[in-house]
Amino acid sequence: MAKYVVKRICYMLLTLFTVASITFFLMRSIPGDPLASMAKTLPEQTKENFYAKYGLDQPLYKQYFKYMEGLVHLDLGESILYAGRSVTSEIARTSPVSGMVGGTALIIGTFIGVCLGMVAALKKNRWPDYVVMFIAILGATIPVFVLASLMQYVFAVQLGWLPASGWGKPVHMVLPVIVLGFGSVATYARYIKSSMLDTLGQDYVLTARAKGLSERAVILKHVLRNSLLPAVTIFSSSIVGVFTGAFVTEKMFSIPGIGLYYVSSINNNDYTMVMGTTVFYAALFIIMQLVVDFVYMILDPRIRIASDR
Amino acid sequence: MKKRVLSILMAGALALALTACGGGGSDSKNAESGEKDSEQYINTYLYAEPTTMDPSLRSDQYSSEILISTMEGLIRMEQRDGEYEAEPGDAESWETSEDGKVWTFHLGEDRKWSDGEPVTADQYVYSLRRSADPATGCPNSYFVTPILNYDAVSTGEMAPDQLGVKAVDEHTLEITLTNPMPSFLESTDASVFYPQREDIVKEYGDQYGADAEKFVYNGPFTISEWVHNSSMKLVKNEQYWDSDNVDLETVNYQIMADASTIANAYDSGQIDTIDISSEEELQKYEADDSNKYTKISGGSIVFQFYNTTDKTFSNQNIRKAFTLAIDQEDMNEMGFGNLREPLYGWIAPAFSVDGKSMRDAAGDPLKDRKAELEKEGKTPKDVLIEGMEELGLGSDPSKLDVTYSLAGTDDWYRTFGEYLQQVYKDELGVNLKIDFTEWGIFSDNLANGNYQIGFMSWGAYFNDPYDMLSINMTDFNQISTNWSNPEYDRLCVAGATEMDADKRMDDYVQAEKILMENDVICPLATSVEHKFTKSYVHDKYEEYGEERLYFIHPGWKNVYTSGR
Repeated sequence: MAKYVVKRICYMLLTLFTVASITFFLMRSIPGDPLASMAKTLPEQTKENFYAKYGLDQPLYKQYFKYMEGLVHLDLGESILYAGRSVTSEIARTSPVSGMVGGTALIIGTFIGVCLGMVAALKKNRWPDYVVMFIAILGATIPVFVLASLMQYVFAVQLGWLPASGWGKPVHMVLPVIVLGFGSVATYARYIKSSMLDTLGQDYVLTARAKGLSERAVILKHVLRNSLLPAVTIFSSSIVGVFTGAFVTEKMFSIPGIGLYYVSSINNNDYTMVMGTTVFYAALFIIMQLVVDFVYMILDPRIRIASDR
Repeated sequence: MKKRVLSILMAGALALALTACGGGGSDSKNAESGEKDSEQYINTYLYAEPTTMDPSLRSDQYSSEILISTMEGLIRMEQRDGEYEAEPGDAESWETSEDGKVWTFHLGEDRKWSDGEPVTADQYVYSLRRSADPATGCPNSYFVTPILNYDAVSTGEMAPDQLGVKAVDEHTLEITLTNPMPSFLESTDASVFYPQREDIVKEYGDQYGADAEKFVYNGPFTISEWVHNSSMKLVKNEQYWDSDNVDLETVNYQIMADASTIANAYDSGQIDTIDISSEEELQKYEADDSNKYTKISGGSIVFQFYNTTDKTFSNQNIRKAFTLAIDQEDMNEMGFGNLREPLYGWIAPAFSVDGKSMRDAAGDPLKDRKAELEKEGKTPKDVLIEGMEELGLGSDPSKLDVTYSLAGTDDWYRTFGEYLQQVYKDELGVNLKIDFTEWGIFSDNLANGNYQIGFMSWGAYFNDPYDMLSINMTDFNQISTNWSNPEYDRLCVAGATEMDADKRMDDYVQAEKILMENDVICPLATSVEHKFTKSYVHDKYEEYGEERLYFIHPGWKNVYTSGR
């Protein structure tokens, strides 16, 4: 087991190194620079002074080694666009916000999604199934920005119950959580339904029923547990998505999260910020993969046995 | 010599834009009686997070918007009775030497910082030296470029203390320029001219200006809360010298980056002001009487320009044909959704020389040239064929190979490209090709002379036509037309340094005439800000609901609410 973990961590560092290197050179190959659209019209000397301040006048390989050296010491540098703010502090400030909104949405959405998926599977081809599948299709097809705008229009403009956007009070979380959670509901309902239908047809379910177990015990103990496996797989990428993928929602509800920040730093060619956030995402993703593997082992004895061998 | 920085100009523009709010209400008691509300506050928004409050490091329009209301410079450009007026800021009075090179500002002795410290001439000197110092890496230092010895200081050849700024005594600031510059006074309204405190800069180092409490204010408001990427709260600065004339107690900014969110927030009463950017919104709010509509015809323009070193476009008749084939009015409707205004000369209507509109003085050169062509009984197509024959390219425009470069790839650019193709097909019989690229590639192509026709926007920060004219001068060539005309260069410089207003105007008008007659650029439209405000928001001097001047920076200083 220890050997396995060490091996995984080594792979993880290698992956991070590769991601950081590729991102570094990709960013630099994009036309433009942090002075972006104004660069052309600035006096030459002003540009030179600005580049010198951030070491951008150095040869690329030197900048690369300098960056990598900082990375080893967990120093992600200072944002170029936002003078005086370190990338580490920006990530530490913005990612919990994204985590809070996305995490709440994910937990509530997953719970509702799993319940609805179960209902749909158990009442297959009856009206509850159709209702759930209708919701799932809506959730998968309505673009986030449409849903967000609609929610704002109904709850803020028409009813006046909730603020259209903003951050700082619990009430600000309601609409974004609904919008983000709706996607999770849709995803999990569909996955759980198909996976449960699959499980319901398995021999061990037949056996359980033949043993005379109550329907409740069969469903909760045998069917649900086994049906959750595919959900765990998507759950892991959803968790990373909590920190990354909420760009549109964050933009529309003015949530000071990391997704919004990431995209704006790419648009502004804020090299250090883009690098830092990418490395952070990569690390998060790899760690989640590791966690998922362990959860698999807990949930499914067959995987546990396979890895023990 | 100042060159223009697109974003900073727009900064000024947007700053103004966002600054405004209001309207005159008729549906409430207070509005009828004209009484001010007991609670004075404004809720508004910023489109993005300000980068920093450090006047030497900022360059975005959002920090500019905030600094205009939280800092005080030497003067404050405002609007009085529809005219530009330089109101006293930290300077109570000012004078210029006879040759126009030395400017002396007398600071008011009651000017204070938010921590109670006095504002002194030394702090102005320190601020300007800091911005000129190459070690600072100031991205908008070009505003300081007219000051004596700036060039040598910025390259490190001279120490920053050699810059032409001097504190004669605690309350007298003397600025010496390299050349006379009649418009210098207006340029000191820029944020880079705000004073800075050496003790505060040293105390916070890199962090200076990065947070609300890591900065010190000398303007009408201070920042009491700055939640990064989310919101900002300004509160009235009781230490401000003119605080008796400031009505608002708080200004709440929320950062909103999405147009539909902003509209929903405005409709639900969460914010009191909105700047719109689509024809649909314009129509929606114009039809609603609970808003006041304030229109600000801007100092920035959109235009097309030609690479005069390109084989085809080195021919003036060809350039002339491409210019005169455009119908500005039609383009504003089809291309810009009626959000801009047609423009027939290089200088936007917002520019004036000593209070007189330059556009009025110079007329509409493009209209005149079109009329002239018509009088000759020719069409733009005839002119094009003449040009093609001069170059030995035959006389069939459909065989002419022309590529138009656009710096964008989104839907708007696609549609605009199709419009251009249609116009040139109909008017000239040319099968135009369009090259869509991102800005970075576009600007590289310009610098390398790798284009034929380009499309761009450009704006000025302060009210001097030289700002717009200078970009076409041989030494600057900022839009890479590679055009050069010694008489044009001479007239631009002559105008910028001429102390006599009539002569200045004449020099500028003549310079623009040369530019237009050479068909180097083709002005298309002026940018316009469309601002809507709730009826209870008012301004003491520039009431909402009326057209407003462009180059003013009152911030929130003169705003109050009545009948909220």
